[in-house]
Amino acid sequence: MTAETAVTLPGGEMLTWSDRRADAGNRPLAALVARLVPPGADVLLAGPVDPAVLDALGQTHVTALLRGYPDAAALAGRVDRVVAAGAAGLPTDEAYNVVIAAGGLDAVESVEGPPLGWNAVLARLTAAVRPGGVLLLRLDNPLGVHRLVAASGWYVGRDDAEWTVGGVLDTGRPANLDQLRLRLDAAGLRMDTSYVAYPRPESTTVLLATDQVARHTTSGLFEAVLHTACTSGYADRFVVADPARLAVDALYAGRAAELAPGWLVIAHRAASSGDDLNATDRAALPLAVLANDSSDGRIVEVVDGPQGWHWHRSGSIVPRSVRTPYASREITHLDPAAPEGPVPDGRLLHSLLLDGCLRRDTALLRRLLRGYADWLTGQADADRLTGAVALAGADNLVVSGDRFAVLDPSRRADDPLPVDVVLARALCRFATELLTGGYAHPWTATLDVAGLTVVLGGVAGRDFDRAVVDAALDLEAAVRRERDTGRRRGLDTGRRGDRDAEGRSGPDGDLRALTPTDPPPGRHSYQQLRDAWLRQRDENTRLAAALTWTEELLTSRERALRRAEAKLDLLSGTVSYKLARLASTPARMARRGARAAKRRARAAISRKDGNHE
Amino acid sequence: MHHANHFYGHAHVLARYAGLSDGHPPRINGYVQHGWNIGDGLAPGHPYAEGTPSLLWSEQTRRRAWSLGRRNVTVIGAPFTYLLAMRPEPQSPPQRAGTIWYPFHGWEGQHVEGDHDRLIAQIRDTEPGPVTVCLYWHEHRMRRVRRRYENAGFRVICHGYRGHWWSDTDPDFLDRQLTELRRHARVASNRLTSAVFYGIAAGCAPAVYGNPMVLAGEDPTFGGTARIRRQWPELHGEQVHLPTAVEIARAELGVDHRYPPAALRELLGWAATQEETT
Repeated sequence: MTAETAVTLPGGEMLTWSDRRADAGNRPLAALVARLVPPGADVLLAGPVDPAVLDALGQTHVTALLRGYPDAAALAGRVDRVVAAGAAGLPTDEAYNVVIAAGGLDAVESVEGPPLGWNAVLARLTAAVRPGGVLLLRLDNPLGVHRLVAASGWYVGRDDAEWTVGGVLDTGRPANLDQLRLRLDAAGLRMDTSYVAYPRPESTTVLLATDQVARHTTSGLFEAVLHTACTSGYADRFVVADPARLAVDALYAGRAAELAPGWLVIAHRAASSGDDLNATDRAALPLAVLANDSSDGRIVEVVDGPQGWHWHRSGSIVPRSVRTPYASREITHLDPAAPEGPVPDGRLLHSLLLDGCLRRDTALLRRLLRGYADWLTGQADADRLTGAVALAGADNLVVSGDRFAVLDPSRRADDPLPVDVVLARALCRFATELLTGGYAHPWTATLDVAGLTVVLGGVAGRDFDRAVVDAALDLEAAVRRERDTGRRRGLDTGRRGDRDAEGRSGPDGDLRALTPTDPPPGRHSYQQLRDAWLRQRDENTRLAAALTWTEELLTSRERALRRAEAKLDLLSGTVSYKLARLASTPARMARRGARAAKRRARAAISRKDGNHE
Repeated sequence: MHHANHFYGHAHVLARYAGLSDGHPPRINGYVQHGWNIGDGLAPGHPYAEGTPSLLWSEQTRRRAWSLGRRNVTVIGAPFTYLLAMRPEPQSPPQRAGTIWYPFHGWEGQHVEGDHDRLIAQIRDTEPGPVTVCLYWHEHRMRRVRRRYENAGFRVICHGYRGHWWSDTDPDFLDRQLTELRRHARVASNRLTSAVFYGIAAGCAPAVYGNPMVLAGEDPTFGGTARIRRQWPELHGEQVHLPTAVEIARAELGVDHRYPPAALRELLGWAATQEETT
C-alpha cells in the first residue's frame, strides 16, 4: 500500500504543511493515555501527537486526523487509519471511545475550506466522543508564564502557522479553565480532571494535577519540577524575565495553575447504559507526570496513595538505558529501578537557602547548612559517600523540620566521594545560581564563585579551601558529561533525538569560567542580562574608587618615604654618624675578611671532594 | 590596606587565625570594624573608597550601615572573637579576682571632660574587690591622670599602643587584654564600649556606671551616650543580669558569625596572598 492509498483524503488537507516541530511534544501525556485507554478502544488523534503517545496506545484502533499531508503520509501504516483534512473532514457518523487533541484545537483547523473557529472545532470533536468516552484536550493560557516572559507580544504573530492570531480578545475561545468547563458542559461533556502543563504550550514536559498544585504551594517536588522544566524549556530562548523564577513564585503564591502556559483537561461523556469504560482509571490518575531533562528522558509519575505520595515509573514507555560501547568508566549511573518509593515531603533546600540569603538570615543559613553537612557526614563511610546522596544538589534535597531527604534518587554515584567534595559541589552549584542570578545575599561582591563556595562551606562549619572546590568542579563536569550522554541516549530511545539540539549550552556552561557579573549560563532573559550589567557597573565603580584611593595613598606613602630618606641623608652627614662609622670600620673590614676566608675554604673543600670522586 | 585595619593588632590576630604568620599581615580587601560602634561600623572621619567591603562585627550594625548607604557590607564578627577561638578558656582556669575598670577614653585627638576624682570615689564605693584600672595609652602617658588612679590604690595598666598609620601597632594588644580580663571577675566602665563586650565574652560580669565623661565637641551624629543608654538599658548599672549581657555581647561581637580559616581568607581577600615573611 502506498502512502497515497493509506491516507484518506476527504478534502481540506494542506498539501505541503507539517506540524512536526523539533521543539514540540507532550511525552507526559503518554502516561495518562496508557492509563486511560483500554485495549481494543477506538481512538481518534486529532492534530499532531507525540510519538510517545502513539507508543502508549498499544492494542487500540487508532484514527489520526492530520491537516498536513506530509504528516499524514509519515504516519500511514503505523495506525489503523489516517485522515488528512481539517476538522470538517472528520466523518460525522463515527464516534470514538477516546478523542485526543493534544496540540489544542488550532492545530486541527486547516487553511483549506471555510474556517470553523474554536467553538465549531470543539463541537466536531465532542460529537465524536461516544457515551462513556473521554476527551483529552489541550488549552493554551493567554496569561501563562510563556506570555509573561515573551520577548514579543502575542499579538504580533507573523509565523507561517499564524495565518490568523487567536488570542484572548477572541471571546469564541475559552481563556481559563472555568470557561472551558462551561463549554464542555454545553457540549455534554463533564470535565473530570485537569493538569497544568509546563514549560511551554507547544512543549509539555511536566503535567501537575491542578487541584494539587493549588493546595501544596510549598511542595519541594512541585518546585523542583517547575524550576527544572522552565530552566531547560527556555534554554537559549530570549525572554524578558526568568520563567523558572516566575513559575516557582507562582507556585508559592498559589497561582501556578493560573499562570500555567497550558492546561490538559480530561472530560467524559456520561455513559447511557453504564458502560463507562474508564471511570475507575480516571479516579486513579497520577498527580504528576514528568518527562523533563532531570529524568533523563524517562517518564515518571507521582501517585497519591494511602502512604502518601509515591514515585511510579510509567512501565511500557520507559526507554531502556543502553551503555555506550567503549565508553570510559562512568562514575555515576541511572538506577533502572528509580525513582521508586515515597516522595519525601518538605521544602526544597535550594529555596530555603535563597530565602535565608535574601533576608540575610545567617542563623537560618547556618542551621540549614550545618544540618546538611552533618546529614552527609552521618551517612558517610570513612568520610566518603556513595549513592544518590553523593550527587543530590540543593535543588534535589527537601527539608522538613530538621530532616533532609533526596527528592529524586535516580542518579547514583558508584565511586565513594569525599564528604567535603560532595558538599562543595552542592554549594558551588548554589553559589553559581546565587551570583549569576543576581540574588541579594549577605556577603561581599568581591567573592567569586569559588570564594563564595568556601565561605558557604564555612557557614556549614567546614574548613575546606579552593583545592576542594576544584575537585568538586571536576566532579560536576564529569556528572554533567554523563548526564548529557544519558539524556541524549534516553531521547534517542524515545525517538525524540532531535528535540534538543545536541551540544546545547543549556544551563550547563563551564562553571570555572563564570564570574559574578555574568548572567546565568544558558539563560537569556533581559532582566538577568540587565542585572548582570548593573553588577558590572557597580564593580567598575568600586574598582575605580579603589584605584583612586590607592593612588592617593601611594602618593602619601611616597611623600613619607622621601621624608624618611631626607632624614637618613641628614643623619648620615652628622659628626656623630661619621665618628660611629669610623669606629666600626675595623669591625666591618674584619667581617668582610672572614667572609672571604670562608668562601675560599668552601671552594677548596669542594675541589678536594671533586678530586676524590 | 586601610591603616585602621591594623589598630589593636586586629589584622595580626586575623592573620594568625587564618593560618598566616602574624609578622606582617597581608592587605585586607576591605575595612575591618575596629571598635564597637553605634553607627555604620566605620570610624567617622576616616577616608573610605566607595564600594570597598565593610567587614563588620554584628548583623545589627550591617543593617544600620546598609540603611546609611553603605554597600558591600558583611558580618565577620569582631577580631576579638577569633582570638577567643585561638585561646579558649583553660579547663581549670586560675581564680578570678576583682574588677578591671576602663575609664572611657577618646582617641588621640579628643579630650575627655569629666571629674576623675568623683569617678574614683564611685568605683571605690561600688567595687567589692581589688580594682585594676586600664587607661588608654595617651591617658596612661599623662602622669597626672595615671597618678590619680594609682593614689586611689588601684593597679593601673595599659594594654598597649593602638598604632597609627601602620606604625607601632602592638600585635599583642588584644592578647594582653584577654589575659587581663581573664584575671578579673568583673569588667566595668563609665560607658558601654568594646572593652565591656570583650570582658563579657571573656567571662566577666559587666557593669556600666558613673559619669560617662563627654568628649569635647563629641559628634552627636549617631545619638551619643544618650542613645546607647536608651538602646541597651540592660547593660547599664552597677549590677547587670549576666545571661542577658552574655546574649547581647554574643550578638554585638558577632560570635556566631565567626568563619573557619579558609572562609576568612576568602572574605579578607587573602585566598591567593603571597605572604610576606619580613
